[in-house]
Amino acid sequence: MSTSPSSSIPTRSREFWTGVRQELPLQLGVAPFGLVFGVLGVASGLTPLQTILLSSVVFGGASQVVFVQLWGGGVPAPIVGASVSVINLRHALYSASIAPYLRSLSLSWRIPLAYLLTDEAYAVTIHRLRNEPPSPHQHYHLLGTGLTLWVCWQITTVTGVMFGTTIPQSWSLGFAIPLTFIAIVAPTIRRRADLAACLTAGMISIAGQSLPWKSWIILAAIGGIAAGYLTHRHGAGKVDP
Amino acid sequence: MIWIVMITCGLFTFATRFVMFSDIAPRKLPAWLQDALAFVPVAVLTAIIVPAVIVAPDGGMALAGNARLPAALVAITVALVTRSVLATIATGLVALWCLDWLVY
Repeated sequence: MSTSPSSSIPTRSREFWTGVRQELPLQLGVAPFGLVFGVLGVASGLTPLQTILLSSVVFGGASQVVFVQLWGGGVPAPIVGASVSVINLRHALYSASIAPYLRSLSLSWRIPLAYLLTDEAYAVTIHRLRNEPPSPHQHYHLLGTGLTLWVCWQITTVTGVMFGTTIPQSWSLGFAIPLTFIAIVAPTIRRRADLAACLTAGMISIAGQSLPWKSWIILAAIGGIAAGYLTHRHGAGKVDP
Repeated sequence: MIWIVMITCGLFTFATRFVMFSDIAPRKLPAWLQDALAFVPVAVLTAIIVPAVIVAPDGGMALAGNARLPAALVAITVALVTRSVLATIATGLVALWCLDWLVY
């Protein structure tokens, strides 16, 4: 890679490594999540190979957790698929937000970059795209953030699978899953509509416990989204000033 | 069977990520869809959190004698103050162990 000191255009490798460097701190949250997923996958009855491959085939943390919990609970395949799909619908938002920066790229770039588009990679790269000057190699930044998270997710899944069986049940490590989600959700509840979505989803998830096939997950998700959207449309104010 | 479901889920998830990168995609998502999708994370994650905290293994509500409930409240406080995933997991787990050992 040639770097010309006089040029102000960041090189490919500079964009890539900036992405990697900016994504690394977020792995403090991703790594324990990946470990716990690996442990949970095997504990739910998936084989080590199935658990490990789920991390690259689906590559979406929360939806993988739901997948193994539902599959392990003997839920019919269509309900598993629908639940995973609803959870992952949010990616369309990231896709829409980042697409204007990537539309001119070839398909051989857009396909791998779409595959790598996770919550954390999106958050870091959209910040760069909006706040730094445009450059012809800016997509290397997303490659850097996306690959960093991908590598971390695969390594920690494999590690969790390997050590999962040696961790005593009394450590309650499965509780790390709701804790991870609490860490993600709690700080994002700012508007009245967020609170409405949260409370509605929570109540349906409890009220629906006796429903078959753990279908409360998908019902609570849809109910929460509807409650949030309707509250938002009827004039959302801030919860705190 | 599980492989078919895994691959279907993988393809669908990829589609949600690729949808607006495609050549035939509209320039923008409809405003209502954009607004609705913004509530997916909070709705979905709450639907996973709440039963994991307050549902007993037999499917009933577990409020009294359930160390997960106070541990989750500690974790929510830590999450709001520190915004750190690692700190939230660590304090939540330590709180659960302490409560299990001391009180319940």
